Amino acid sequence: MATIQVRNLTFTYPLADKPALQNIDLTIEQASFTVLCGKSGCGKSTFLRQLKKNMTPYGQRQGQVLYDGEEVEQLEDRLSVTEIGFVQQNPDHQLVTDKVWHELAFGLESLGLEQAAIRRRVAEMASFFDMQTWFRKGVAELSGGQKQLLNLASVMVMQPKVLILDEPTSQLDPIAAEEFLKVVHKINRELGTTVIISEHRLEDLFPMADRVVVMDEGKVIACDSPRRIAGFLAEGKQPHPMFYGLPSVMKIYAGCTAGSDAIEKGESPLTIREGRLWLEKVLGMPREGTLQQEDGLGPDQGLNQESSPIAISAKQVWFQYEKGAEPVLRDFHLQVRKGELFCLLGGNGVGKSTALKVIAGIRKPQRGEILVNSLKVNKENSKALLGKGLAMVPQNPQALFTEITVEEELLEALYYERAADQEKAQRVAEMLEMMEISHLRKSHPYDLSGGEQQRLALGKILLLKPGVLLLDEPTKGLDPFFKITLAGIFQKLKSQGVTILMVSHDIEFCAAYGDRCAMFFDGDVVSVDQSKAFFAGNSFYTTTANRMVRQWNRKLITWEEVCQWVEQVMTHNERKQ
Amino acid sequence: METEKRWKQGIGEDTSFSAYHPAVNFIFFALTIGITMCSMDPVFLGITLTVSWAWSILLSGKKALKFNLLVTVPLVIVMAVVNGLFTHNGATVLFYLNDSRITMEAFVYGAVSALMISSVIVWFSCFNVVMTSDKFIYLFGKAAPVLGLTLSMIFRFIPLLKSRFAEISMGQRCMGRHEEKKFFAKVRQVVKEVSILISWSLEASIETADSMEARGYGLHGRTSFHLFRFTRRDGILLLWILAIGLVGVIGAIMGATSIYYYPKIRLQQWDLMRIGVLACYILLLITPMILDVLGEKKWQRYKLEI
Repeated sequence: MATIQVRNLTFTYPLADKPALQNIDLTIEQASFTVLCGKSGCGKSTFLRQLKKNMTPYGQRQGQVLYDGEEVEQLEDRLSVTEIGFVQQNPDHQLVTDKVWHELAFGLESLGLEQAAIRRRVAEMASFFDMQTWFRKGVAELSGGQKQLLNLASVMVMQPKVLILDEPTSQLDPIAAEEFLKVVHKINRELGTTVIISEHRLEDLFPMADRVVVMDEGKVIACDSPRRIAGFLAEGKQPHPMFYGLPSVMKIYAGCTAGSDAIEKGESPLTIREGRLWLEKVLGMPREGTLQQEDGLGPDQGLNQESSPIAISAKQVWFQYEKGAEPVLRDFHLQVRKGELFCLLGGNGVGKSTALKVIAGIRKPQRGEILVNSLKVNKENSKALLGKGLAMVPQNPQALFTEITVEEELLEALYYERAADQEKAQRVAEMLEMMEISHLRKSHPYDLSGGEQQRLALGKILLLKPGVLLLDEPTKGLDPFFKITLAGIFQKLKSQGVTILMVSHDIEFCAAYGDRCAMFFDGDVVSVDQSKAFFAGNSFYTTTANRMVRQWNRKLITWEEVCQWVEQVMTHNERKQ
Repeated sequence: METEKRWKQGIGEDTSFSAYHPAVNFIFFALTIGITMCSMDPVFLGITLTVSWAWSILLSGKKALKFNLLVTVPLVIVMAVVNGLFTHNGATVLFYLNDSRITMEAFVYGAVSALMISSVIVWFSCFNVVMTSDKFIYLFGKAAPVLGLTLSMIFRFIPLLKSRFAEISMGQRCMGRHEEKKFFAKVRQVVKEVSILISWSLEASIETADSMEARGYGLHGRTSFHLFRFTRRDGILLLWILAIGLVGVIGAIMGATSIYYYPKIRLQQWDLMRIGVLACYILLLITPMILDVLGEKKWQRYKLEI
């Protein structure tokens, strides 16, 4: 039985010249798990908001959205509130009250339930979500992942039949995101709740999904099972841009099947396990000797280690937040060379961000020395260092925005600069161009999407012409296409001699674009190497593509490399025959 | 070792008295602070001040001692001097200043009022520890669910704004701001940061409003949920507090807790009624402290047995 039926839906925002949604026809079956994907700004959020009464934005709407055969707009208030749950992006903004238990009870209070009934339902939910240990805590004490789980739980407590999630993990780190999506899967599997979720993080979601809906410029361009969607997107000479957002295993499968006719086409594998089984069928079992044979990783393809000078150097740095607390940095060492993109990877809450703040001079270490371009990072040099040589982009771009248009926002960065207005305007225009946000110059910074805000913040910092750029999770919440653009921007900066040090959880990004990578653990860097060697040397902490093929060839890091290699092997095998 | 640290830092909010129902906590404070405000007898004030000091130190440790000293000592000095200089009532003239009589009674009255005010302040500091935000919200939510929710949102907002502001400052420092030494540049920077805070928070509140509406805010007949349960033991303590408290209140109304200061200080006779009122008053004040100490002792014994 269908729960939600969308019939020929078209929606136009006021004053917009183009509809945000165009002729959408979609049926969502009961208890199904539907993933909605597409570029940022393709209309995913607008579409999801049409499915819940009172969440629909203002604008002109044609067509029908039916819930259980009834127009969503005509639903009775109480029914709409209880049966359709909605979780938004930002964990912090959705919380209303000060205590976890009160947040859980909020919806039930609105419905006017009795004390005993609320107590029972809240208890059930807290147990289901395993929240007992933080049930009485204040919401301010929770981590981002816990906050978003709380948002989910406080919607689930109303026992909705349909759960709508609008990019719920875009503000979370990958580990918290994975946890969150597991819980969503559990809800779908064990409670039979219909789930509709929009996401960029498809790697975790595809194995859970029944159906994938791909949107592009307000239209649904594909709606199929996850196994078949890759084949569809890879069709044609130039794959659809959405293709690059797919999980690596699927990209490899699609790439290989397209590249070689010898490989049978069928349903795509979704997980690493399935991917390996499929490769075994194609290539045969990995030979015993393969590992030893290919252990030599070949000459460095990155920067010449010896020639370029050191831009950032940290020696024996110790840092702790307060006396008696556990040190966050223990004998921390780091050397970053001029003009390289250096990635600092590591688990959650191990102190990577703190390390960045200490290097930026925002936090003062208790012991040790940090040099940036041979200048010591301390209070006396801070003026010379910050802004001019050394700048950092904060995790939340909003922390930088003060003006009412994008253009003025960038101009604000040059406020203390002594330059003619014309020259300033010139530099702002160049920056708009470089960040590819020229078309948004008159928009309000808050009206931009997450990725665009990230670009604006980066542009603002770059106007200060830093020689050393520190970035804290620059790929958080970005869609896969903009990640490619961002890599291009980094490339441009590097060619201008800018040193980039980024802290990230995004293994795939660091593997594809980083020059060197380092693993941060227990207060210090435990291993540093050229990206390729770094990931080839790790067994678990490495890219999906590498984990899939490392039994055959551990040198392969990105999906493109794997595709090329498979193709080579296939042609080689053919020739032998 | 651990217990010693606990005594030093104060036993905080998870005490035996704190574990009682919020209504019991609240009524205790209402009675205690009410009677204290109506007391001007040095004996009564001495007792209330001593007990309030003792309990606050038990609750918050060294921190409380510092706070109490900072409140009481300057207040007594300032009020004694001010009242002494500006009030010329009283029979016992100490000396003349510019033809004005400076009397002992005026000095004493000022000092005694300061004792009263400082003990009220110290009681409030205990109130602050015991009446946590959720108890407060519960009591107000009983009166009107919307009021309880509003309070809860305020308590949520204060730490949120603080952390957001810290983040903004950090972000600005990333841009090399905050380094300006000139006064106007500094002011400009602060104004800028506050304006970021406001626009960010307004933007966020749209999402909060959506989240509230999605969860049915505004539907008719809202209730107010809480985690408290009124048990037999709450009832017994409440009866006890009410009984002795009412004696105190009646005593205070009948003037048993005050004395005359002008024209001459005249202490009251210790008749049976005053002794009874004093006894009930002392019992009332020390009740929570005794419960807390007994609770601590019991816990220590319990730990030893393990």
